[in-house]
Amino acid sequence: MAETLFELRVERLFAEAPSLADAEAFAGRTLERISRGWLARRAVIGSMGVLGGLIGGFEVVSTGALGQFSGLVAQAPGWLAHAASLSPAVLPLDLRAVAAAVVLALVGVAYGLARPMRGF
Amino acid sequence: MAQRQHRPGAHDLELAALCVAGDRLAFGELVRRHGSAVRALMRRMGADATMADDLAQDAFLAAFEQIAEFRGEGPFRAWVSRIAARIYVRRWRRERRSALSIEEAATGDIETGGGGLAADARLDLDEAMKSLSETERLCVSLCYGAGFSHAEAAAALNAPLGTVKSHVKRGLDKLKSRLGGEAAQDRSSIRG
Repeated sequence: MAETLFELRVERLFAEAPSLADAEAFAGRTLERISRGWLARRAVIGSMGVLGGLIGGFEVVSTGALGQFSGLVAQAPGWLAHAASLSPAVLPLDLRAVAAAVVLALVGVAYGLARPMRGF
Repeated sequence: MAQRQHRPGAHDLELAALCVAGDRLAFGELVRRHGSAVRALMRRMGADATMADDLAQDAFLAAFEQIAEFRGEGPFRAWVSRIAARIYVRRWRRERRSALSIEEAATGDIETGGGGLAADARLDLDEAMKSLSETERLCVSLCYGAGFSHAEAAAALNAPLGTVKSHVKRGLDKLKSRLGGEAAQDRSSIRG
C-alpha cells in the first residue's frame, strides 16, 4: 500500500512540472522550426515537380509525339463526324461515364501520391 | 521571441483538430502549454538543458507530423511525452553505440547524489533524481514520467524486464529516501 502511494506521488511529481521561464520563447522557436521545415518541403516538392515537368517535356519532344498528336488532331473532325453519325445504342459507354472514370482515376492517382508525400 | 496566445481557451483536442486542418498557430499553443513539461521530462531523464530543448523540439516536430494520430484517448501531454521519451532513449542508445546492455551501463554508473542528506529533507524531484544512477533515472522517468509500462520500458531500452524492474525499484527507494520517506509521503497522500 505504502509502495503504491509513493509511486502515485512520484507520478504526480512528474506531472507537476514547473513552467519554465522561457516557455514562450521555446514555443516560438519550435513553431519557427516547423515553418522552416514546411518551406523546405514545399521547395523540394516544387523543384521535383519542375524537374519532372522538364523531363516529361523533353521526352515528348524527343519522341516526336507532338507531330503524331498534330496528325491525330487533324483527323479528329472526321472521327467526330463519324461518331455523330452512329446511333447511341451502338456505343457501349456514354461520354459522361468516360469522364467520370477519368476523374476517378485522377483522384486515385492524387491520393496515391499524397500518401507518401505526407510522410516525406 | 514572445508569441501571441492562440485560442487560449480551447481544449487540447480542439487545438489538435485545428492542427490537422493545417493551423500551425494552434500547434504553437500546444507547445506553449506543454513545452515546459516535456523539457522537464528530458532533463529528469538525464539531458542537460540544451540537449533537453533540442530533444523536446524534435518531439514536438514529430508530434506535429503525427498529429492526425492523436485521438484524445489520453492527455496530449502524455502523448507527446511518450514521443519525447522514445526520442531520448533512441539517442541514449545511439550514444552508447547500442551494443552496451543496460546491465553494463549500470555497472559504469556514477552516483551523483550526496549521501549525507537527512531523510526528512524535502528536496524537489529534480534534485532527488540527481541521486539516481543514469539507468535508474532513465527507467524511473520512462515509467513514471512518460507513462511506459515496465515491459514497454524494457522493450525501448532493449533490456530484460527483470533488469528494468530492479532499476525502477532501486530508483524509487532512493527517491523515497531523498523526498522525505514515509512521513512526507503520508502528508502528501492526505493532501492529495
